Amino acid sequence: MKKTALLLLILLMFPFVSNAEEFLGAPIVTQGKENLKTDVRLEIKSSLSHDEVVLFYREQFKDVPDIKFRDWKDSTYIEDDGAAPWHSITISKDEKDGATIVIIKDNWTWIIGTLILRYIGVFAVLMIVFVGMVVSGKIISATVRRMDEKKAAGQS
Amino acid sequence: MTANEILDMLYGTLHTTGIYNFQWNIVIMWGVGSLFIYLAIAKKYEPLLLLPIGFGIFIVNFPLVPLMGYSSNGHPLLLEVFYKYGLKWEVIPCVIFLGLGAMTDFGPLIANPKTLLIGAGAQLGVFITFTGTVLVGFTLKEAASVSIIGGADGPTTIYLTQHLAPQLLGANALAAYSYMAMVPLIQPPLMKMMTNPGERKIRMRQLRPVSRQEKILFPLVTSGIIALLVPSVIPLMGMFMLGNLMKESGVVERLVGTAKDALMNIVTILLGVSVGATMQADNFLSWKPLFIFSLGLVDFAVCTIGGLVTVKIMNLFLKEKINPLIGSAGVSAVPMAARVSQVQGLRYDRTNHLLMHAVGPNLAGVIGSAAAAGMFIAMFD
Repeated sequence: MKKTALLLLILLMFPFVSNAEEFLGAPIVTQGKENLKTDVRLEIKSSLSHDEVVLFYREQFKDVPDIKFRDWKDSTYIEDDGAAPWHSITISKDEKDGATIVIIKDNWTWIIGTLILRYIGVFAVLMIVFVGMVVSGKIISATVRRMDEKKAAGQS
Repeated sequence: MTANEILDMLYGTLHTTGIYNFQWNIVIMWGVGSLFIYLAIAKKYEPLLLLPIGFGIFIVNFPLVPLMGYSSNGHPLLLEVFYKYGLKWEVIPCVIFLGLGAMTDFGPLIANPKTLLIGAGAQLGVFITFTGTVLVGFTLKEAASVSIIGGADGPTTIYLTQHLAPQLLGANALAAYSYMAMVPLIQPPLMKMMTNPGERKIRMRQLRPVSRQEKILFPLVTSGIIALLVPSVIPLMGMFMLGNLMKESGVVERLVGTAKDALMNIVTILLGVSVGATMQADNFLSWKPLFIFSLGLVDFAVCTIGGLVTVKIMNLFLKEKINPLIGSAGVSAVPMAARVSQVQGLRYDRTNHLLMHAVGPNLAGVIGSAAAAGMFIAMFD
């Protein structure tokens, strides 16, 4: 009984939850106008505010594993790291008359792109360690040499 | 007492035994456990880990054994305690890195720092395998945890898998340690295939001596840079560098002794047995572990090729050429991969000793695979 009451309360608070539609398995708010729809991308201009849209998606994904919410400067970025057919949902911030929602299909460009970047990243990390080692090695060698010279001068 | 009462009593007793709760799938797991115990004892493949892992697999796959999970009054059972506080909390891999740091001499890497790039190049398989794993239907987090096997670093594999896909912990750890043990079988044909006879005979200049001050500064510089660039992996690398700093400082001999002997041995036992204990028939017997094993081999091979190719590319720009046989040591697998380079080098020139030269990329591989793991953690956290 308690559960049913709670569910009803949620549905009343967020009427859009009850009649959510989908794009590539990702729920979409109904209070919105489609700006662009292709097989791989959907852009919606919603009359709901950014916070309301984020709340909607938090509710929708509360039990879904591998969903990550990232709060960026100009948008909230929701990413699926699981096996859903969609890859990301971007909800714009700072719009006076609602929010723009962009849903993008899971794509290999992102996967390959991020992998190449991260592989280069490993090189970059080790390259910086390399530079750090060379610089610190030179400083130490110079210091040790100077100390040895001082010692030798003191002995003579 | 009537016959029925006696039968009820017997029936009740039978209920408390494993025989009544027997399922056929556990027999397969006995076989898996026994196989790894056999490999550890008879073939001496990574016995320090495969023996406790094999026994862990064997012993948890008996019905009703109170080893994993929680008792009726909510207390964690023996191996659950090891697993929860050691692995789930990501403690043991870091403590193992402390011990490894206390055992490691970074001298060859400091003397020839350009070999760091070989360690980066050898992470190629990690990123290629990721793609293959996603293609067959693993989630991105699972793919990352499987692909790190190619880095040939057991603690890093366990750390990343526990972080991203704990359900694959047993399979990933087993694949990583099995292939690390098989480095002398996997790498030589690839080394031969990727190099020509002239390259195999390249002689490298003897490494310069490294001062104590440089060795003390190295862990500080490296951990500082890694903390800045890939902070997510600093629990591993920080402990690694702490162990090394303790060793090189020369002022905490007792701590170094404990870290590399007693402490290391204790956590190795706990690690092995609790990794094995995660492999219960119900959650292990699926297509995924089999796939992980087959892809792990490809992963290892591509990482080896990555290291070899990196040396060949570096040789295009270097005046003093590097023997590409040390490229294969860019996968971690310390010190096995470096030994393979030495053996192969001697095979083609009986006076060309490559061991110390190969230790550099070997250690760079440890840092490289940790950096790759850090990249993945940053990607998903």
